[in-house]
Amino acid sequence: MLDTIFIGLSLGSVLLLVALGLAITYGAMGVINMAHGEMVMLGAYTAVMTSLYLGLGLIAAMPVAFLVTALMGLAIERLVVRRLYGRLLDTLLATWGVAILIQQAVRLSFGLAFAGITIAGLGPGLQNVSLPEWLGGVFSVAGSEISVYRSFIILVSLLLAALTWFLMYRTSIGMQLRAIMRNPQMAAACGIDTNRINALAFAYGSGLAGVAGVLMAGFKTVFPDMGTPMVVDGFLVVVMGGVGSLVGSILSAGILGQINGLTAAVSNDIIARAVVFAVVIAVIVWKPKGLFSYKGR
Amino acid sequence: MLTLDRVDSFYGRSHILHGLSLVVPERAITAIVGRNGTGKTTLLKTIMGLTDRIAGRVALRGRDLTAEPTFRRARAGIAYVPQGRQIIPDFTIRENILMGGFATSGRSGRIPPLVPRLFPYLMENLDRPGGVLSGGQQQQLAIARALAAEPSVLLLDEPTEGIQPNIVEDIQNIVVRLNAEEGLTIVLVEQNVAFARSAGHHFAMLEKGRAVASGPIDQLTDDLIHRHIAV
Repeated sequence: MLDTIFIGLSLGSVLLLVALGLAITYGAMGVINMAHGEMVMLGAYTAVMTSLYLGLGLIAAMPVAFLVTALMGLAIERLVVRRLYGRLLDTLLATWGVAILIQQAVRLSFGLAFAGITIAGLGPGLQNVSLPEWLGGVFSVAGSEISVYRSFIILVSLLLAALTWFLMYRTSIGMQLRAIMRNPQMAAACGIDTNRINALAFAYGSGLAGVAGVLMAGFKTVFPDMGTPMVVDGFLVVVMGGVGSLVGSILSAGILGQINGLTAAVSNDIIARAVVFAVVIAVIVWKPKGLFSYKGR
Repeated sequence: MLTLDRVDSFYGRSHILHGLSLVVPERAITAIVGRNGTGKTTLLKTIMGLTDRIAGRVALRGRDLTAEPTFRRARAGIAYVPQGRQIIPDFTIRENILMGGFATSGRSGRIPPLVPRLFPYLMENLDRPGGVLSGGQQQQLAIARALAAEPSVLLLDEPTEGIQPNIVEDIQNIVVRLNAEEGLTIVLVEQNVAFARSAGHHFAMLEKGRAVASGPIDQLTDDLIHRHIAV
């Protein structure tokens, strides 16, 4: 039982890292970033590449992946999203286009051959990252075998969620971002450089997704389409938790991860997915603005 | 001196201000009067750069602000107290005030000494959420937030609208004091002609997005009011 709960928690943790970025960009800027899943995928590929070429382990790959995907996110914000603020549906279409572009570029480069040169160890687009030995085992608690790596995922996610909370609630930049989330016009009228803060938030959220990708690379196959279901799941978390609520995102990531893990344990992954969708639909019918919505005045 | 020179302002395709020119003298209260829907609020939003498109020229002490984004205008010394107050209900009172400080150069994080003198009630409740305040207290909070920006020009949009009568006079006194004691230049959008006349030094009368009359406050005659405001 405990091991099943841990699987659910680790699924929820990865989901949380993906959803935090979406919660920030959707909540603060009203941007639906469909390319967010591709940040997960790029993060996972960064883990593959750094281990192949630099011999870096999974842990060292995390900051590298954060940087790579944060810069990528910054570029997307500067080149595409910045021109589309206030046009929700256009951001969805444009970032979806960006997502397809990144996906196909990765498929072309790594899936078949890299500029005509086949790279050893890179098979037909499917990769894996080997775990360091100390992360690979299991330990037993109260008679249940618990995977060390799953615990590690939960720990990293909690640390990053705590860091995000600190940045949002204890720093000047976080306060500016929260002001933009509540009232962008008034925030600007108070002297807040909304463009700069938005770009930073976009980059930070992308970076978190990149780290989520590294963590996923440790227990899943890395392939070019791996980000697509992640962006969908991420939005489920944000919508169920309530747009603009950090607590809501954390809670709903936990709930959805747990439902996914438990259902998968008693039946299979396909049924688990159906149950997750059903729960989200039920919550939205019951509370259209999500579990923790901002009520205004 | 804040000047608007033949300014047109738009929301989407709606053309709200038409060739509006206005001179706001330093250290004076300029009252903006006119009927509902003549563009008084839009005038303030235009000065702040919050409308969709602006043509013409908006300048503060000779510095052209027409193409500047809103946050630069705020940092240039213009603070805005909008209609409906627009404080942030789930920010604490302290956070609401400090939010204004982002317009100052690196001095955010400090509540200016003026605020405790004017609004002792706010200072006693710094850690409560802004949303629990009454309308009048929220108006005071919005003014405190604007003052945290240490502005030279204060834009006030109907500061006494929708506020319980016993606080209306308080707020009117504060507006007069901010000008008289702190030397703030104030642009005051006001429906209450009696207050506009008693507090204002200059006035501008708007009708259908145009300035139809302006000058020293004693030129705001009954005849003018009858023609442009009275129904």
